[in-house]
Amino acid sequence: MYNVWENTLAEIEQKISSGNFSTWFQDTSLLSTEGGHIVIGVKNSFFIKQLRSKFLDVITEALKNNGVEIKDIDFEIQTKSKSKVRPHEITEPTKLKERLSTVKSTLKSTKSFTTGLNSKYTLDNFVVGSNNDLAVAAARNIIDNPGTNYNPFFLYGGSGLGKTHLVQAIGNEILKKHPNLKVFYTPVSDFYADFVDSVLKKKGKDFNNKFRSIDVLIIDDFQLIVNKEKSQEEFFNIFNNLHQLDKQIIVTSDRLPSQIKSVDERLANRLTWAGAFDLQLPKFEDKCAILRSKADLIGAEIEDEAIEYIAENINTNIRDLEGELSTILLMSDVRGLTPLQLINNGSVKVSHVDKLRPTSPKRIVDRVAKYYQLSTAELKSKSRVANIKNARQVAMYLLQEELSLSTTKIATEVGVKDHSTVMHGIKKIQNDLKLNFVLRDQIASIKESIYE
Amino acid sequence: MEIEVISDKLSRALSNVSRIAAGKVTLPVLNNVLIKVKDKKVSLITTNLDMAIIDFLPVSSSKDGVITLPAKLLTEFISNLPKSTQVKVSSKDTKVTVVADKYSSTINGSLADDFPELPEIDEKSAVAFSMDVEEFKNGINQVIIASSNDFNRPALTGVHFYTNDKSLYIVATDGYRVAKKKMVDNVKSEIKVTIPANTLQEVLRSINDEMDEIEISFNEDLVRFRLGEIEIISKLIDAEYPNIDSLIPKTSEINIIAERDELLRIAKLASLFARHGANDAITCETKTPDTFSIHAIANEFGENDSIINTKVDNEGKITITSKYFIDALSVVDSEKIHIAFSTGIDKNTNISAPMVIKKQNSDDYVYILMPLDS
Repeated sequence: MYNVWENTLAEIEQKISSGNFSTWFQDTSLLSTEGGHIVIGVKNSFFIKQLRSKFLDVITEALKNNGVEIKDIDFEIQTKSKSKVRPHEITEPTKLKERLSTVKSTLKSTKSFTTGLNSKYTLDNFVVGSNNDLAVAAARNIIDNPGTNYNPFFLYGGSGLGKTHLVQAIGNEILKKHPNLKVFYTPVSDFYADFVDSVLKKKGKDFNNKFRSIDVLIIDDFQLIVNKEKSQEEFFNIFNNLHQLDKQIIVTSDRLPSQIKSVDERLANRLTWAGAFDLQLPKFEDKCAILRSKADLIGAEIEDEAIEYIAENINTNIRDLEGELSTILLMSDVRGLTPLQLINNGSVKVSHVDKLRPTSPKRIVDRVAKYYQLSTAELKSKSRVANIKNARQVAMYLLQEELSLSTTKIATEVGVKDHSTVMHGIKKIQNDLKLNFVLRDQIASIKESIYE
Repeated sequence: MEIEVISDKLSRALSNVSRIAAGKVTLPVLNNVLIKVKDKKVSLITTNLDMAIIDFLPVSSSKDGVITLPAKLLTEFISNLPKSTQVKVSSKDTKVTVVADKYSSTINGSLADDFPELPEIDEKSAVAFSMDVEEFKNGINQVIIASSNDFNRPALTGVHFYTNDKSLYIVATDGYRVAKKKMVDNVKSEIKVTIPANTLQEVLRSINDEMDEIEISFNEDLVRFRLGEIEIISKLIDAEYPNIDSLIPKTSEINIIAERDELLRIAKLASLFARHGANDAITCETKTPDTFSIHAIANEFGENDSIINTKVDNEGKITITSKYFIDALSVVDSEKIHIAFSTGIDKNTNISAPMVIKKQNSDDYVYILMPLDS
């Protein structure tokens, strides 16, 4: 029946102006032809009136040419006229909202379904600070009303900033609150492996059904989907299916989808439909809070000064921060000194520079120039043109950040006269970084190219 | 087609109808206004296919005929003419001449054949009632603020009109708050329709001081508003409206009465901070015997605490979205406001107990506001 209407529309399109066609026939559908009583679905009564008074002849003729027997033609209003005729949507699974309400009556959890979640990740042991409060607020909203506001929930940030922790915590809390929902967590690599497996064993249908029955799907480390086109396509289908049913989808990645190579543009757009939330590097106070809560969790004693010392010197990520804390605590256990004593007598040396792979000032300047499509000479010139000046400041910032060079040394590297210009430049970039997401992404990709 | 009319009158009629005639590119005729003269009756018509606005224009002289003209151009031309000038609009084929005193222009119109015919309400089967225009305007203004603009949930983009126990209520919700108002007592027929919020906005804009009654008629899929010379026809939203009444708590643990202006002031002060924080959140807290306070915090900028002294029956606190709170306070038509809330889960509805805002000693208008988790 659907095809008959497609053909009929094609014929009508030939006969009337394209403006009229796209306005009046766009959302129509053929609902019934039984016994010659034709019923056509339309958007609202404005359309009924117009189709009946101006286009009835055209419709009748086109239907006849397509072999449809006609006694009379009637119109009916269909809010989403097309969806009613597609066969696979008739058997659509229940919507999330309906599930939520039925859940309340049957308060027994389905134990047989494995979630892939690790129960040690909870929201209570996730330290909230200004670097992640937005993402956490959204997460809480999702826990209360999965599948409504932040769907899909796209979370991104560098490694070791707590992405996995946060999304696993969402999964765990949703299970706690709505025990009958099916929550499934999978790193994208497992998703890929599963998919390949299902293709090899020719069980593509099972794979599809498995995912389509899920209420909350959590995909971790999405950036690893690079170059796996078939998996991506499959994910795209699953994504669409789940999203249409208002099922909650949660995706993490270390960068924005548009920056992941070879991710289909449509998919990239869809992933950030409901906004993208980032986890940033923690600020000094946040780092202290993280260390304190971690130490309390282990039950170890550590002085505030020692915590401040670690917080001040680790600038990479939370994983390193916690690693350093463990090392110091272990040492203090072995040597019988408090962490602060260890630091003061020089047994512990923390320096973030050690954490990075070696690079050179020249390489940094080259890469910055290349990124902004300037020559190194241009970057080092005295030009005050905005884009060159900006590139120069980024170079200063990176020299300081990556190599901890003195401002005087930086001045000679980028060809400015004195160190105060450098200080100003670095400060400007630091300030801009707080609000300017484009700049943040630019610097991240320059860094990547530096350590390529 | 020919009409002669005073420029002010034509200008006002055009500005009434021309607002919705814009933006459709697929069918250019929808950017036009249809001028129809039949038996001395002149009507100006525009439509965007969700609704249509018709203005019946009284004229000094006319000749029968129909023509469509670019609505924006014509409206702007007429509105820039000096006041109280006699304007003559006449068409020959698709060329339309507009002459007013020393000013004249020729506008390329198009034939009315492409202009959609409008659906009509069958007077016999329709449900109709009329009410005072001011009351209508107030009621809609109080409720429409809670409607949603998320077209994924079409029902919520409208205002729901329904009868319960012979009274007509209107209600709107976006999922975070609900506004409900009792409009008319003693309604004879059953009503259960959802009118698009956009349509109601247009109706509100069309209201002017000279009007005193609005007549509303419904049938299955259409609604018609009649306001003086203006008639607005719109589709109804064809989607099940959620049951709102079960969400409204019958009693609350904490009840306070406060001056509206004072509440509005401290809410606005708090929102200056709240808008920088997560969720635009403010926390309301009561302390016996007589303190109601609002607290808001913005990590970067600082925080705010304001207090109102009023009788408090129980202690408790609730975190809510400041914008939604201010929205409600700005529309309640009463000097004294009754605020009620509970902490924790409402036993009847099994959801976090919402805040209720209404007039003192009156249930005519109820606004409920879901708490944020904190």
